Amino acid sequence: MNHGGNTQAVAPMDPNSIENRYGVDGSQTQKYSYQYSTGSESAPWTGHSVENQAVENGNYSNSNYYHPQPTGPATGNVQEIPNTVSFTISSTSGTANVAQDYSGYTPYQTSSDPHNYSNTGYSNYYSGYQQQPSQSYPQPVGAYQNTGAPQPLSSFQNPGSYAGTPSYSGTYYNPADYQTAGGYQSTNYNNQTAGSYPSTNYSNQTPASNQGNYTDYTSNPYQNYTPDAANTHSSTIATTPPVHYQQNYQQWTEYYSQTEVPCAPGTEKLSTPTTSAYSQSFPVPGVTSEMPASNSQPAPSYVQPWRPETDSSHPPSQQPGAAVSTSNDTYWMHQAPSLQAHHPVPPQNNYQSPLETKPLYETPFQGHQRATYPQEMNSQSSFHQAPLGYRQPTQTAPLVDSQRVSKVQIPTNPRIASNLPSGFTKMDKDSTAASAAQAPAYVSVSMPKPKDHTTAMSDPGTFPKSLRGFVERAFARCKDDKEKESCEVALRKIVKKAKEDNTLYTRDWDTEPLSTVTTTNVTNSESSSAQLSSLQNKSPTRRPKSRWEPLVEGKPFVKPASTFSSAVKFGVWNHQNENNKKSSESFQKVDAATGFKPTYSGQNSAKKSFQRPVKRQRFSGGAATAIDDEASSDSDKDLTPYYSSAMALAGSAEEKKRRDSRSKRFEKIQGHSRGNDLTKPKNANVGNLHSRRATALRLSKVFDESGSRAVEDIDWDALTVKGTCQEIEKRYLRLTSAPDPATVRPEDVLEKALIMVQDSQKNYLFKCDQLKSIRQDLTVQRIHNHLTAKVYETHARLALEAGDLPEYNQCLSQLKTLYAEGVEGCSLEFAAYSLLYITLHSNNNRELLSSMSRLSEEDKKDEAVRHALSVRAAVTSGNYVMFFRLYKTAPNMNSCLMDLYVEKMRYKAVNFMSRSCRPTIPVSYIVQVLGFTGAASEGTDEKETDGMEDCLEWLKTHGANIITDSNGDMLLDTKATSTSLFMPEPEDAVAHGDRNLDVNDFFTRT
Amino acid sequence: MAYVSMGEAHRRITEYLNRFCDAVSYQDSSTLCRLLSFSSNSPPLLSLADALNVFQDSSSLIRQSDRFSEYGEILAHVFRSLQSYRVGNLVEAYLAFDKFANAFVQEFRNWESAWALEALYVVCYEIRVLAEKADKDLTSNGKSPEKLKAAGSLLMKVFGVLAGKGPKRVGALYVTCQLFKTYFKLGTVNLCRSVIRSIETARIFDFEEFPRRDKVTYMYYTGRLEVFNENFPAADTKLSYALQNCNPKRERNIRMILKYLVPVKLSLGIIPKDELLRNYNLHEYTKIVQALRKGDLRLLRHALQEHEDRFLRSGVYLVLEKLELQVYQRLMKKIYINQKLSDPARAHQLKLEGIAKALRWLDMDMDLDEVECIMTILIYKNLVKGYLAHKSKVVVLSKQDPFPKLNGKPVSS
Repeated sequence: MNHGGNTQAVAPMDPNSIENRYGVDGSQTQKYSYQYSTGSESAPWTGHSVENQAVENGNYSNSNYYHPQPTGPATGNVQEIPNTVSFTISSTSGTANVAQDYSGYTPYQTSSDPHNYSNTGYSNYYSGYQQQPSQSYPQPVGAYQNTGAPQPLSSFQNPGSYAGTPSYSGTYYNPADYQTAGGYQSTNYNNQTAGSYPSTNYSNQTPASNQGNYTDYTSNPYQNYTPDAANTHSSTIATTPPVHYQQNYQQWTEYYSQTEVPCAPGTEKLSTPTTSAYSQSFPVPGVTSEMPASNSQPAPSYVQPWRPETDSSHPPSQQPGAAVSTSNDTYWMHQAPSLQAHHPVPPQNNYQSPLETKPLYETPFQGHQRATYPQEMNSQSSFHQAPLGYRQPTQTAPLVDSQRVSKVQIPTNPRIASNLPSGFTKMDKDSTAASAAQAPAYVSVSMPKPKDHTTAMSDPGTFPKSLRGFVERAFARCKDDKEKESCEVALRKIVKKAKEDNTLYTRDWDTEPLSTVTTTNVTNSESSSAQLSSLQNKSPTRRPKSRWEPLVEGKPFVKPASTFSSAVKFGVWNHQNENNKKSSESFQKVDAATGFKPTYSGQNSAKKSFQRPVKRQRFSGGAATAIDDEASSDSDKDLTPYYSSAMALAGSAEEKKRRDSRSKRFEKIQGHSRGNDLTKPKNANVGNLHSRRATALRLSKVFDESGSRAVEDIDWDALTVKGTCQEIEKRYLRLTSAPDPATVRPEDVLEKALIMVQDSQKNYLFKCDQLKSIRQDLTVQRIHNHLTAKVYETHARLALEAGDLPEYNQCLSQLKTLYAEGVEGCSLEFAAYSLLYITLHSNNNRELLSSMSRLSEEDKKDEAVRHALSVRAAVTSGNYVMFFRLYKTAPNMNSCLMDLYVEKMRYKAVNFMSRSCRPTIPVSYIVQVLGFTGAASEGTDEKETDGMEDCLEWLKTHGANIITDSNGDMLLDTKATSTSLFMPEPEDAVAHGDRNLDVNDFFTRT
Repeated sequence: MAYVSMGEAHRRITEYLNRFCDAVSYQDSSTLCRLLSFSSNSPPLLSLADALNVFQDSSSLIRQSDRFSEYGEILAHVFRSLQSYRVGNLVEAYLAFDKFANAFVQEFRNWESAWALEALYVVCYEIRVLAEKADKDLTSNGKSPEKLKAAGSLLMKVFGVLAGKGPKRVGALYVTCQLFKTYFKLGTVNLCRSVIRSIETARIFDFEEFPRRDKVTYMYYTGRLEVFNENFPAADTKLSYALQNCNPKRERNIRMILKYLVPVKLSLGIIPKDELLRNYNLHEYTKIVQALRKGDLRLLRHALQEHEDRFLRSGVYLVLEKLELQVYQRLMKKIYINQKLSDPARAHQLKLEGIAKALRWLDMDMDLDEVECIMTILIYKNLVKGYLAHKSKVVVLSKQDPFPKLNGKPVSS
C-alpha cells in the first residue's frame, strides 16, 4: 500500500522520472525509484540524508548550518522522533534511504553518504534511525550548527533548492510509512534528484529546468540543501501517513507542501507542515530563528531540509562536473562547494538525532539546536575520532564545515564507524587526495555561511550566498505549494541562465528583483531550482548507486510489506550495493533490531559505495564517476523490485552468493553502460545530466532485460569494455568496480605504453606499476594476442631482473595459458625459465618430471632450454663447477633465476670441498670455481681481486676457517671449516623477497 | 543393432528387473555384479541396452510392480546409463551412472551386512572407468575433462561409507585403490595422502584384514609415491611387498611393480639379474644395468636418452639419473684396480689427470676442475673413501674399502 501510494504520489511529483520509476512497480516502484534515484536518486538520498541531517541539525544546526535547512532538519528529526512508533518502518525506509544514499553518494559520495546515513538515520528516526543518525548526526550537527548558523541565512535564500529537499523528505516519509522507503525514496529521489541529483529528478521532473535549477541550486541550494536534509528527516517523520507521502510527492513538485506534509506526519504533527509548513520553513531556513520555529513545526523544518538538499545536490552536481567525480571525494567536493557544509551537517544531524535527536528535535529548534550543538560538538569530535566509519557521513558534514571536512571522517559513530571504518579510512584518503577540490569546499564549509558564499564563489559548484538568499526570498513569497513549484521552476531557469551567462557569481542576487522569477512565484522558481539542484545531485549519486544496485537487483524485494520491509529494503540496498557481507549482516541485524541496525547497514553500504566511487574517481576522474552514477541508477531501478525478496533472503549464504554473482553481472553491465556513456563529457554537468538520463534510461532497459536473463546468457562480448583513454602512463590501481572505458587505454595506446616502459630509465617499481596497469587494461578489454604476450613477457623479464618472483610467477602462469592458446611469443625462453624455476626454487620432482616430459625434441634444441636442462642436471648432481660455468654462459635471463640459487650452490660446494679436500684449498680456486669473479668478468686482474674480496667476505660470513700460508696466499682450512660451516640467516631478507627493492620505495609508491 | 521387437524388448527389460530384484532380495552379490558390470560388455547387458532403446518407456515398467519400484530410482538410472552407454554417449552414461551410484550407495548404507560389497566394488570400478572414457570424449570434443575428478569425489564418499566399524570396512581398501588410480591419472597424487593417513592410522583398519589383492595394489601405489619422494628404502619395502604378494600369474602386474622396483633397487646398489629383466620384458633397464656394472657413464647417458620419454612419464627418470654417481664410483674402482695392477704401491692415489683421461675415453670431456668437483661429491657422498689433495690434484683413497658398497642403503645426501 504504502509503496503504491508512494509511487503514485511520486509519479505526480515527478511526472517524468518519478512516474517512470514509480509507474513501473507499485511495490517495486520504490525500489525502482531507489535504483533510479540511486543513480540520480542516490543524490537525492544524500540530499535526503542531508536534509535529515540538516533537520536534525535544524534543531541545532538549522541555525548553525543552513539555518533554514537546519530548522527543517530539526523539525524532521523531531518529527521522526514522534514517528518513532512507526520507526520500524521508517527505519527500514531509513535503511533504504541509506542504501540509496549510498548509491547517490557515489557521485557526491562523501557528502551524500553522510547524508544518506543521516537520511537513514532519519528514516530510522521513525524507528531506530534516530539512534544511528544520532551518532553521526550529532557530529554533523555540531559542525553544521557552527557553519549552519552563518550559512542558514544564505541557505535560506536558496529555498528553491530546499523545495527540492522537501521532496526528499517526502521520500523519507514514504519509507517510513511504507517501510518501503523505496516509494518514499523515489519521491524523495525525484525531489532530491531534482534538488541534489539532477539526474533522476531532472530526467523526470524538470530535466531542462533542473539544469537551470541546478546551477541556481548549486549556488543557493547548497546551503539550502542542508536544510533539505533536515526536511528529509521531517519527511521521514512524515512516514507515518502514506497519504502524506503521496501528498509529498505531489507537493514534491511543489516540494514544500509535500515535504512538509510528510514531515508533519513523520515528525509528529510538527507542522502539518505540508505546503504551508514548507513554505514557511523555507523562509525560515533563511533565518535560523525561523528554523527553530520550523522545528516546532515539522513542516517548516522540512522545507528547510529541502533547501539543504538542493544545496547539497547542487554542489554535488557542480562538483560532479568537476573531476572530483570520485564518489566520496565528489560527494565531499560537491557538498563542500555548495552543500558541503550542509550535507555534512545533515549527517551530523542524523547522528545527533539518534543520540539526542528526539529530545532535541522535539524541543524547539533553538533548544534543540543548543542541545544539538553540544552534540554536534561531540559528534564532531567523535567524527574526528572515528573518522573512518562516520567520515562519510561526516564528510558530508565536514563539507559543510571546513573543519569538519578536514575531519571529514570524523563521524566515528561507533555503529557507523564499525561498519564504515574501512570505507572511512578510504574516505579519508580520498578526501586527502581530493584535498585540492575538497579542501576548498571544506574550508567553505567550515566557514559556515560566509564560507559557503566564498566557496560558492570559488567553487563553481556552489552558489553564491546572495543567490541563495534570492532563492529563499523567492520561496518565501510563495503562498502555497503551487506557487512554490512555479517559483522553483522559475528560479531554476534563472540560475541556469545565470550559469550560462557566467553571471552566477557576478550578479547581484541581493538586489535582483524577485519579479525576475517571472511567470510563477518566486517560490515556484525556487522550488524548481531546488528540484534542479536535487536532480543534479541525484544524477551523480545515482550512478554510484547503480553500481551497487546491480547487486541489489539480485535480491528480490517482494517482501517489503513487513514493517521492517523498509528496513529490509534498505538492507537490501545495502546488500545490493555492497554485495558485501556487511550489508547482509546489517540486514540481518536490522531484521532483528529493526530500524537501527538496518540503518547501519545502510550506512555501511553507503560507505562502501562511497569508497568505491572514490577509487573510481581516482582512476577516471569526474566524467567516469558521472557515468558510473548513471549506470548505478539504472541498476538501482532494477534492483528495487527485488528488494523485498532480497531482504528476506539476505541472510542466507545462498542469497549472498547469488547476490555476488549478480553484482558481478551488474558491474559488467555497468561497465558496458559506461562504455555507452563514454561520449558524454565528464565536466559538462548540464550536458551530462541529459545524457546521463538518457544513458540511465538505456541502462535501465538493459537491466530490465538482463534481470530476467540468467547470468550465463549474458553476451559478455557485447559488454567488453573498449577503452578510450589516450594517456600513455597510468598508475595501477586494483579495480574494485566495473572498469571505466574512459580510464582504459585501447590497444594502440597500450602498445605505446609498453614501449614507454621498456625504454624507461626509471626503477623497477615504476615499471612494475605501469605494466600492471597495462595488464589490467588488457584484461579488462579481453585482449589476448601477441601484445598481451609481449606485455607479460616484458613484465616477467623485468620481474626476474629485479628478483620479484611472485610477480614473475603471475606473469608466467598467464603466459602459459597464452601460449597454450596459440599466441605467439617467446615460449621457449619461458619454458626455460619455468624449468629453471622448478629446478631451483620449487624442488618438486613430479612437477619437474611433467614439465620435462612436455618438452619436445624440437624444444630441447633451443639454446635456452638446453641451457636450462644442463643447469638442472648440474643441480641434481651437485656439480657446482658446471653450475657456475653455465651461470656465466646463461642466455636470456636464465642467470637471473640462477642468481637466486647461487648462494645455496656455493654453500653446497664449499661444504663438499671442506669435507672432501685436505688439507687446504686456496681461496683463489674457490673464487674461480664458484663464480666470485662475476658472470661478466673477463678475467682482468681488478676483477679478480674484487672476486677475492667478495669470496673472503662470503667465506667469513659462512663460518669458514681461513689461514694464510707462507706465501701470503689465503687458504681455506678444510678440516676446521667442515665443522664450522653454516648458512647464515639472510640479514637483508625482506618479505617481498628482494633486497633490491627498497622498502621505502614501496611506501612511497603506495 | 539388431532389430528387437517391442515384445522382446519388454520381456528383456522385465527379466532384468526380475533378476535385479531377486539378486537384492536373495543377497546374491555375484548376480548383482553381473547386472551392473557395464564394461564387461556381456551379451545380456548389450541386449538389454538394445531393448531399452526400443522400449523407451522403461520407467513405466518399473512403476508397474511394487517389487521394482522399491528400487525404482536405482533402476531408472541404470537403464538410462546403459542406454547412453550403448549408443556411445559416454558423458550422458557417466552422468546417469553417477546418479545410480549415489542411489546405490545410499541403499548400500542401509544394508546391514556387507553382502553387496562385491557389487559396490563393481560400481566403484565402473564409475571410474566410465569417467575416464567420458573424459576422453570430452577432450576430443575440446571440452575440459572433469568427470574423473567428479568420480574421485564420489569414490571419496564411498570410502566414507565403508570407513566404519562394521563388516563393510574391509571394502575400504578397494575403494582406496580406486582412488589412487583416479588421483594418479589426474596427477593429483597429493590427494592420496589423506586416504593413506586414514588407512594407516585409523584403528578400525587392520591392514592384514584386507583382501590380498587390495593390499598389493595399495602397496604398489604407495610405493610409487615413495619413489616420487625419493624415499628409496620405504619404496623398496612397499614395492617388494607388492611383488611378493601379487599373483605370480599376473605378469603384467609383476612388470608394473618391477618397473618401479628395479630403479629403486638400483639406487640402493642392488643390481637385478638379466633374466629378470628379460622375463618381464624390462629391456629399457638392460643398458642401465650394464652401465652400472661396467662403470660406463656414456652408456648410462645413452640409455637415459633413449628411453627418456618413458622414464619421464613413469617418473623414474630422476631416480635413474642419480645412478650416475654409482657409475662414477664403479669407474673409479676400475681405475683403481687397473692402477693396482700396474703400480700397487701408489694404487691408492688416483690422479685427477688419470680420471679425466678415463672419462675422455668415454667421450666425457671434462677438465680438471670438473673432475675435482665430481670427486669431492663422491667423497662427500661416501661413495669413495679418502680425500682430495687439491694442491697435488690427487685423490688419496682409503686403504680400507675405498669404494664402499651401498648394500641396500641409499646414497647419502
